[in-house]
Amino acid sequence: MIATIRAEWRKSRFRPAFLVAGGVMAGITALVYGLNWYLALHPNAAGERAVNIATLYPDQFVNNVMGAAFPVGAAMAIVVGAIFAGSEFGWSTLKTMFTQGPGRLTVWAGRSVVFGAWMLIMTVVLFAVGVGSSIVVALFQGHAIAWPAAIDVAKGMGAIWLVFAVNGAIGLALGTLIRQSAAALGIGLIYVLAVEIIAVRFIDLINNGAYKWVTELFVNQNATALTRSFTSPVFGRAIAPAVSAEHAVLVLVAYGIGLVVVAAGLLRLRDVT
Amino acid sequence: MENTTIVETHGLTKRYGSRVLAVSSVDMSVRRGEVYGFLGPNGAGKTTTLRMLVGLIRPTSGTATVVGHAPGSPAGLKRIGALIESPGFYPYLSGRENLRVVADLAGVSQKRVDEVLDMVELTSRAGRKFGTYSTGMKQRLGVAAALLKDPELLILDEPTNGLDPQGMAEMRKLIKDIGQGDRTVLLSSHLLGEVEQICDRVGVISNGRLVTQSTVQELLGEEGVLVRAQPADQAQELLAKIFGPEVISRRDGAIYVKVKPENSIEINRRLTDVGIGVSELRPFERSLEEVFFQLTGEKQGS
Repeated sequence: MIATIRAEWRKSRFRPAFLVAGGVMAGITALVYGLNWYLALHPNAAGERAVNIATLYPDQFVNNVMGAAFPVGAAMAIVVGAIFAGSEFGWSTLKTMFTQGPGRLTVWAGRSVVFGAWMLIMTVVLFAVGVGSSIVVALFQGHAIAWPAAIDVAKGMGAIWLVFAVNGAIGLALGTLIRQSAAALGIGLIYVLAVEIIAVRFIDLINNGAYKWVTELFVNQNATALTRSFTSPVFGRAIAPAVSAEHAVLVLVAYGIGLVVVAAGLLRLRDVT
Repeated sequence: MENTTIVETHGLTKRYGSRVLAVSSVDMSVRRGEVYGFLGPNGAGKTTTLRMLVGLIRPTSGTATVVGHAPGSPAGLKRIGALIESPGFYPYLSGRENLRVVADLAGVSQKRVDEVLDMVELTSRAGRKFGTYSTGMKQRLGVAAALLKDPELLILDEPTNGLDPQGMAEMRKLIKDIGQGDRTVLLSSHLLGEVEQICDRVGVISNGRLVTQSTVQELLGEEGVLVRAQPADQAQELLAKIFGPEVISRRDGAIYVKVKPENSIEINRRLTDVGIGVSELRPFERSLEEVFFQLTGEKQGS
């Protein structure tokens, strides 16, 4: 297992898909911070400010970066997951891996661990850019730098990692099922950005919301609920999450495990042609 | 030790759905230390059989034992090196880094990477990205990866595919070198000259069935003498009387006599003594190509 993780890390550490994804996440986070800073300093004609400058200071950075989890982060994770799994078929590298000695499930376990590590790296990048951006805003605004509690930072990182990992697992499972990257990431993105949203709206309307409980089992309903549970009064009136954070964590963990197990089963049972 | 079997299959069959029978009841045995050629036209079932031997695909029925283990078992795979069809590597990594990944997976020391790069003469280009390699370099890297474990059994599936004549010659030399000593090489190919030059024994597969399995010499048949003479019927009759009718056959106007070529002088003398004109008299040996086309029912030059 250790050897498999080492091999997986060796081939993934310079993988362009991960490096680009990390860079895009960092760029988008910095850009959104910058745009929000601009909006906070430039009220509209009625004198209203779209963003409260207090949300951009270091003590609020955890709540602030939560917005990056969905849909941008989720979509990025699906793309990376689909490429990570699907390209092994396209490059015919799966047969190279499966003829070296470790069993298929051992190889998959190693791959899953390294993928999880990459999702953690993306989370760290997101938080690091959030920290850096909030410091820049605070310094320019002459605001004292104060930090959120360590436990809140840890919870926030855990939440973002879980959202990334579960959406990444969707990409992994689709890449393994379809045995290629392009279709897998296309289907994954369409599901997250359209199908689930349309389905939730439709189900909510049936019988005056009698089947709303079904939507509470959807991946990104829970992902959104989890990230929205990180808020504070400076963000203004919060939208009540559809489900509790505890419920969201349980559902997301179940999805993550389920998707990884399904992909493992596919790899274990199917022929490598 | 020399005659022990390293690969053995019984009734190995692979069926895709109800219509496609890719491999049908293959009984194959590869002996330890030999270079075994697995011959067959494109689509005959060579790659499917080899994939079954390394556990990449599961047989529909039948059994196989490879280096004493079930195909695909971790214990067996540790003793097998395989290059199945095209080499599969990461295009964004260098040749050396790709081998390091494989070495990690195989539990092989990283020192071995440079040794195998040297063996396939890729050391000077090992730092270049795999995606920039020529077909020949890719094949060499594939062979290097297969050699990493210093395997007892090396399975090479069409290793000269896509190579130019010089690349093919170099690859043949490399395989000959690799096959020296105790190592067993199972080489699949549709290039008959290649197999004839390299292999000790061959198995011929056609339409998913193993149609024969023997040494190259056995397959080529006994040596003999080709005679063209006039009148041909009279010559055939006389030769049958001298050597026995069982060693005489006639094809395309020529008489084939399965006797040692040293008998040519005797044949010439006996025929000319009775006034039969001899226009051609020479030793003959069937080429592997002739045998192959005969066995697979394919037409030469088609």
